[in-house]
Amino acid sequence: METLIETMSTQLGPMLVVLGAALAVGIAGTGSAQGIGIANEAAAGVMTEDPSKFGYCLVLLALPGTQGIYGLLVAVLALQKAGLLGGVAVAFTMWQGLGILFACLPIAIVGYYSAVWQGKSSAATILMISKHPEQIGKAVILPAMVETYAVFGLLVSILMLNGIKL
Amino acid sequence: MSQQDAYGYAVARIRAMENRFLDASVLQRMIDAEDLATALKILGETSYSSALTSHVSDQDFDKMLEFELQAIYKEVESFIPNKKLLDLLRYQYDFHNVKVLIKSVFNVATGGEKRWDFLTSLGSYPVDTLINDIELEEYKFLPFGLNNLIPECISIWEQSRDVLEVERLLDNRMYALMKEIAFDLDIPEALNWIRTRIDGENIRSLLRLKRFNFDATRALSFMHCGGKIDTGMLVSLIVEPFESWKRSLEFTEFGKGISSIDGTVSFSEMILLLEKFLDDFYLDKLASSRFSSNAPENILAYLWHKEMEVKNVRMILVAKTSGGDKEQLRRLLRNV
Repeated sequence: METLIETMSTQLGPMLVVLGAALAVGIAGTGSAQGIGIANEAAAGVMTEDPSKFGYCLVLLALPGTQGIYGLLVAVLALQKAGLLGGVAVAFTMWQGLGILFACLPIAIVGYYSAVWQGKSSAATILMISKHPEQIGKAVILPAMVETYAVFGLLVSILMLNGIKL
Repeated sequence: MSQQDAYGYAVARIRAMENRFLDASVLQRMIDAEDLATALKILGETSYSSALTSHVSDQDFDKMLEFELQAIYKEVESFIPNKKLLDLLRYQYDFHNVKVLIKSVFNVATGGEKRWDFLTSLGSYPVDTLINDIELEEYKFLPFGLNNLIPECISIWEQSRDVLEVERLLDNRMYALMKEIAFDLDIPEALNWIRTRIDGENIRSLLRLKRFNFDATRALSFMHCGGKIDTGMLVSLIVEPFESWKRSLEFTEFGKGISSIDGTVSFSEMILLLEKFLDDFYLDKLASSRFSSNAPENILAYLWHKEMEVKNVRMILVAKTSGGDKEQLRRLLRNV
């Protein structure tokens, strides 16, 4: 029994890091996919009428994709910190692994919701440029405001990862 | 996917299609045009060009406008998630066709002739099938509960020769159906819009009945149920001058608009102004949906806007044919 507990405590740490990385990529990525999907519907609607608006639509529908990239970045940093991407193996406890898992959560959660809302916001501004293409500058700024909170999530995740001493 | 999410593509496409609407300057140029041919030439420079090329005769502009509307309905039908939404606007054409066919039956019975030239292809039910079913008295195949209603209408006419009563029954059925569809669609704004239209129609009917000196009891049977304003209160207005209607309807959503109608002009002028106000008001009721990128009411707003645009074009072309007054025409154009 003691051996089992000892084995668990040494192996659970890396497993929690892997779980954290998976959540960061999985949840933030799902949000991005959903957000781009929402913006895509609007873009397809506008482009059916006017295919020349492709350039404008592409800029706007790409915006919700950044959260997925942030999730990927945090996942790579977490795996790298735990030495799971090769190089010298790092020894750490279950509690340190749990800390890394928690560090991955801000970008996972904020990334998901901000991507979905940014997708809705992009869809609305795609409708705007369908009538006023000259307003593309303003149309990019509006959904970009949602991005602020995804950046906050990314920042906090990175700070938390850096704060965990292995 | 929720119902609202399903409309993301449709609303975006509708918004892009709005670029095809005629702008005020085109309508202005058409009003100022010397004759019908010049007005049609101006129209030919717009999105109506394809409809115009498909109709050779200048006098055939009614068919041309019907073709334009038909094309829009077909296009919208091809991409909206729930086709039933269109029925909220197409039923008025279905019931118009039924009225034309029934009146033709009455005309023939009294030695007159059929007026199938008034039929429109804009309804949701195929006109040919409708003609066939009514001509062959195969009522059991008719939709919208007409299988029972048409024999009832014919029987009423045979007994009383009362065409108004027949129209009333058909209109009642139409509004009941519209409400049913709006309810089934589970779009509260659409249901609210239909209820507003029922109220508007009741007010319009009341003014027309007042012109013919109907009393409150008789007028009550012409009111359609399902609106937001109590029909009993509405018919009590029939004995009062139009100026007092403004005070009584002040608490309703129509209050502000009704107040803006000049009650000192003739009845026919007043009815025209009321109709213009109502058409504009129905569009305003849907205006709040413009701020949503996936609200289904945007589809209704677009189609109603298109209907009003076609109405404006028709009014201008009719005025060009008959030499109508430009100022009067400008006053009656819908705000689209």
